[in-house]
Amino acid sequence: MASVPQRGPALRREDEGELVEAARRGDRDAAGTLLERHELLVFRTCRRLLPAGEDVEAAVQETLLRALKNLGRFRGGGSFGAWVVAIAVNLCRDRLRRKRLVPFLPLEVRDENGADPFASVPSSDPNPERVAMARQAVQRLRKEVSLLPTRQREVFALRFFVGLDLEGIATALGVDVGTVKTHLHRAVQRVRVAVEEARP
Amino acid sequence: MSIPHLNDDELNLAVLGEDLPPEAVEHLAGCVACVRRRDAFLTTVEMARGTDPDEATQVQVRERALAAWGAPNRHHWARWLAAAAAVLVLSLLPLRFHRTAPLSAINADAVMLEVDQVLDRDPLSAVAAEEIVDTVVPVSAESGERSVS
Repeated sequence: MASVPQRGPALRREDEGELVEAARRGDRDAAGTLLERHELLVFRTCRRLLPAGEDVEAAVQETLLRALKNLGRFRGGGSFGAWVVAIAVNLCRDRLRRKRLVPFLPLEVRDENGADPFASVPSSDPNPERVAMARQAVQRLRKEVSLLPTRQREVFALRFFVGLDLEGIATALGVDVGTVKTHLHRAVQRVRVAVEEARP
Repeated sequence: MSIPHLNDDELNLAVLGEDLPPEAVEHLAGCVACVRRRDAFLTTVEMARGTDPDEATQVQVRERALAAWGAPNRHHWARWLAAAAAVLVLSLLPLRFHRTAPLSAINADAVMLEVDQVLDRDPLSAVAAEEIVDTVVPVSAESGERSVS
């Protein structure tokens, strides 16, 4: 479902069902393993759907807690990761609505870890013009994503920043795959054109 | 005849990793310009993604969530206890109010009764001492003028 690298021993799909059942019975270790597997998805979701300055860690913690408290509502047939991301998306929407914040992707130079988000831009490139252009393209992409309609922005973020596939996004947003495709194509078209303008 | 470059829709499909029409696949295999357009977008997205939180932060957040998950029982008890206390206090309030109101009324009646009895015995006691003196022996009379009373 997601392209998040797994840590520790790889767990099969059926193992996840067992973990959920054990966690429902109050097994703390099982609950911890479940959270560990999907925490990064939640981090990426909250980070990309909340504006700069919002407490991402608090949002992640609240999401994980809600997931644990509502384990009884999880339908075993679907992806647990997408279900947790759905909780994260709803939490982010609630926060934005409550605080009447304008959603946007953070454009600041430093991210919440104090790291340079442009660290992956090849600054060792001998051509400084190309480096500047790459940074400009990143900024333009983030800005353009922030200007997308809410649903398109969520779909784009879940696909490209969180790493969910179409079915995972559909589950997380409570829509069908066709709707996800439509929003995704519109979003990609708009963002791609903007990036090409910044990075000809 | 050369195959034309990918159009917008085809380029979007390529970016999303979705199935392309056979002729577009054939073109992409040999066109540096189209490959560069696709890869430029994907590279920019990759750079915009930023870094993930470190392991320590993830563990910290996870442990806090697990700790809060284990705490509901205590909160439940505290909540029930507070609710019970509130109900008890609210149920006692009317009793207290009901008891104090008649007592006040009884005390007032007793005082008025006592006052009436005193006045019956000595009507002048209801008048302040200075007023009695002023009425019987006015100040102006002391200076030789007639009393108006």
